[in-house]
Amino acid sequence: MSYGFLIDTTKCIGCRGCQVACKQAHDLPADRTGFRPIRTNPPDLTARTWSLIEFHEVTKTRERLVWRFVKRQCMHCLEPACASVCPVAALRKTAEGPVIYDAKRCIGCRYCMTACPFNVPRYQWDSATPLIGKCTMCAERLAEGEQPACAKACLTGAIKFGQREELLAEAHQRIAARPDRYVDHVYGEHEVGGTAVLYLSDVPFAAIGFPAALPLYPLPTKTWAVMSLVPAVAGGTAGLMTFAYLITRRQRGLERQRAARQEPAPVAVTTDDPPADPLEEVQG
Amino acid sequence: MTNHWNDIANSDCILIIGSNAAANHPMSFKYVEEAQARGAKLIVVDPRHTRTATHADIYAPMRSGTDIAFVGGMIHYVLEDMQHHPERYNLTYLREYTNASYLINPDYRGPDVLDGLFSGFDPVKRTYDRTTWAYQLDDKGIPKRDPTLQDPNCVFQILRRHFARYTVNTVVKITGTPRERFDAVCETFAATGAPDKAGTILYAMGATQHTYGTQIIRAYGILQLLLGNIGIAGGGINALRGESNVQGSTDHGLLWGNLPGYLKAPIASDVTLADYIGRTTPKTNDPLSANWWSNTPKYIVSLLKAWYGAAARPENDFAFANLPKASVGANYSWLTLFNALYDGAIRGLLCWGMNPAVGGPNLTLTREALDKLEWLVAVDLWETETAAHWKRPGVDPTKIQTEVFLLPAAASFEKEGSITNSGRWMQWRWKGAEPPGEARDDLAIIAGLMRRLKELYANEGGPHAQAITDLTWDYGEHPDPNQVAREINGYDLTTGKLLTGFANLKDDGTTSSGCWIYCGSFTEAGNQAARRDDKDTSGIGLYSNWAWSWPMNRRIIYNRASVDLNGQPWDPKRAVIRWNGEKWVGDVPDGGYPPLAVDPSKAKLPFIMTAEGRARLFGQGLVDGPLPEHYEPWESPVANVLSSQQNNPTIALWAKEIQQRGDPGRYPIIATTYRLSEHWQAGQMTRNLPWLVELFPQMFVEISEELAKEKGLRSGDKAIIETARGAIEVQVVVTRRLEPFYLGNRTVHQIAMPWHWGYTGLSVGQSANVLAPNVGDANTLIPEYKAFLCDIRRA
Repeated sequence: MSYGFLIDTTKCIGCRGCQVACKQAHDLPADRTGFRPIRTNPPDLTARTWSLIEFHEVTKTRERLVWRFVKRQCMHCLEPACASVCPVAALRKTAEGPVIYDAKRCIGCRYCMTACPFNVPRYQWDSATPLIGKCTMCAERLAEGEQPACAKACLTGAIKFGQREELLAEAHQRIAARPDRYVDHVYGEHEVGGTAVLYLSDVPFAAIGFPAALPLYPLPTKTWAVMSLVPAVAGGTAGLMTFAYLITRRQRGLERQRAARQEPAPVAVTTDDPPADPLEEVQG
Repeated sequence: MTNHWNDIANSDCILIIGSNAAANHPMSFKYVEEAQARGAKLIVVDPRHTRTATHADIYAPMRSGTDIAFVGGMIHYVLEDMQHHPERYNLTYLREYTNASYLINPDYRGPDVLDGLFSGFDPVKRTYDRTTWAYQLDDKGIPKRDPTLQDPNCVFQILRRHFARYTVNTVVKITGTPRERFDAVCETFAATGAPDKAGTILYAMGATQHTYGTQIIRAYGILQLLLGNIGIAGGGINALRGESNVQGSTDHGLLWGNLPGYLKAPIASDVTLADYIGRTTPKTNDPLSANWWSNTPKYIVSLLKAWYGAAARPENDFAFANLPKASVGANYSWLTLFNALYDGAIRGLLCWGMNPAVGGPNLTLTREALDKLEWLVAVDLWETETAAHWKRPGVDPTKIQTEVFLLPAAASFEKEGSITNSGRWMQWRWKGAEPPGEARDDLAIIAGLMRRLKELYANEGGPHAQAITDLTWDYGEHPDPNQVAREINGYDLTTGKLLTGFANLKDDGTTSSGCWIYCGSFTEAGNQAARRDDKDTSGIGLYSNWAWSWPMNRRIIYNRASVDLNGQPWDPKRAVIRWNGEKWVGDVPDGGYPPLAVDPSKAKLPFIMTAEGRARLFGQGLVDGPLPEHYEPWESPVANVLSSQQNNPTIALWAKEIQQRGDPGRYPIIATTYRLSEHWQAGQMTRNLPWLVELFPQMFVEISEELAKEKGLRSGDKAIIETARGAIEVQVVVTRRLEPFYLGNRTVHQIAMPWHWGYTGLSVGQSANVLAPNVGDANTLIPEYKAFLCDIRRA
């Protein structure tokens, strides 16, 4: 039993209280932003913006224009790719649910950024000792019996926090109670092996910015296939280079022996003797 | 609100009109969505597709300023439907609880025959003589009635004739609403006319900020009374107040025309207390009418005792002469105030948590008016545009003589006191943090200021010194809000004990109360506003033991209209009160009298705040008509389709040089202003907070794709928006969420912009209100920010 979120985008009014509550809870500085034709600001997650409301206008014709507000943050995958690829285990999935980040271990390699299917971890590009920033499911607040700041701030209950199993059941109940309203899909139930953050929507998920066609298996099954070779590759490379070193060391040893016996060296070109000019010899 | 926030969840159909509740009152949407989850329908009527409209079951676009046409069309629909399907409506409610049956002076004529005017109009003075709007009285002085509702002079028949012109075809030609949407709105909302159905109306500035804004609210009132939706759970007329304590501020008489508790402010012809009482106390001869305002003498005397203590005695009219009095016929509201400032008639201004240099209309005039001040005291958290008007962009500070005093104020969480929400709930708050530096709470500032003035007047004298020196003003150097709250509640001066309710107030000087509607809020049992029992036993979310609501902790006012003549609820599933044979159970009844059919000798009609005891479909209290009539905004691109009376004929107008009116030929586009969730009012709070500036870093204007194409504009382009008052340069957002309005054979464009920006703060930008006109509602003078004319061009 571990924690998760149920984010019902049909209930979100885009007030962005959750976005600001996250900033306040973690004392994150504001990003410098500018004019945007779409209200989403900052335009994307950053190392300082861990939770973001995206504004989506969804329509084919004016008659069916809807404006949907989608909370975006770390999905806290059940089997996170970021944790699996991190060479120093700075990212870790906890039993309670949060995928947490230990900045002290991080070496800034950004491998997690490449691996995340939701493009979540963000880099402190403007720092000399850059770390990554992402939603922590307010693990510190959970430890004190508090809800995550975003869930607590949400006025309409669009964000609901609780045990993932219960939230998943509730999500399906909501769909069953209003089949005319909801898209029949709980996003995050199975994507990449399941995520702790679950979403409901009344418009196609692809229309509101969700990555489509994600695999349904946990990504670590693939990343691990590669990462598990690292010791072998590393060891094998080390062995190969040692072998090459032994060969070249033997070659140098053989040269010294030849010099000691005053055998003519094979072709010896030194910087002292300029090369003979073939033209001179011809014109001699 | 007649009801309260939680009650919205009880509704079957929520009509949000003139409000973007999701953006500007986001907490309300918790209750809206709870209602929707139960199957309630949300109807949103708005010129823009807002964050509220996007959650609607029915969204009806409506041209800004055409609410009376729109709602008039809904009233027309209901009146017609009542003829054909009376069983769908609560006709007992209509007949017994409203003035539908009352007979009006046979000389009354309405706009249906007077081409947009009502009888009694003086075209020179531009005012109405309301004699022909009065009730016919019988020989006992009681209004005559026709309970069959057939007499041609009865209110019901007048209503039918008045709204006969508001046919669907006419209405949609005025509002630009697609016909099928309008029909859907009418049908869906009219269904709440059933006795066991509840419809509620939520409104805000989109309804009030027009030159006929008060009449717009009257239209909502008429609709709700026809549908029997007043006094019931899930019903009502619910104003979403725009600041956390503006309800408190109007309750305590901060509007110029009121004393605390909505007593009328005295005018110069009220020479004596008896004159004042005679002018302001309504009378009735109907024994069935409680006429609660007949208690006015008790409330004004108790107020005078609270303010002047021992100096207020029966022999000196309870110091009534100390009160400042308005000149007869004069008006001291914002528009008049800033005109007077502009004319140099006022030397100094105390500007308390208020930023006129961003929030007022016609900002060029407003800012130049501030320049004329000798001194300005700005009490605020930051140096606002108003405090900094003397050094604003484009002016030479050496030419402006205003001496500005900045008094830093504590924020709301840095002080103790109460806040009264839109639902009339007075909720006590405790201090959460110390104010920074020298910032002090408002109570300390004003108590200290007045204490020093009192000493100065006592020592040096001055004009009307007694009005100041007579004040009790015993708050000391460190005033205690609890002491003030007790004074507001009031005392039995013979015993020194706190009173339990305004029924105990007297007009003989033996009681005091700083605000009669709050009497009962702080009793010998303690501070009722501080109660925090969150259990609800009512089943309809009354939470009667949480905090305290005025009056008398009644949660739904006019609740005796929620029962039949035997005191039994129209809708037992959502009962507000019920007569159990001996007394009322449930919410505090709106007057504890027995039901009309149970004991006619002691019973009273349910609308106790009107002199006649019944609710007014037809009213005599407003300056511009007994019924709402559609007029166009002062600046409009189209002629009034309904009559040749283009505008509200009674609105205040000033001399031409300060009130420029835009010609539709030059300014053909409708402009409207609005607010965001992320920024607050004139922006001094939010444009100084990095987390909020991050969300909306700058000013912008929204235009439709159609208008963008016409003007060659794309998102991000800089554009100049110009009106007859001025011009601003601002970046454009092109969006499908705005549409042109198709009015018959004309297409009319609209643009929309937030008004939060000014020239001080972390985020600065052009102020939308440079463009807005300084004309206002005929009754309240609230400016017409919501519909005026402009043009837009690429910068």
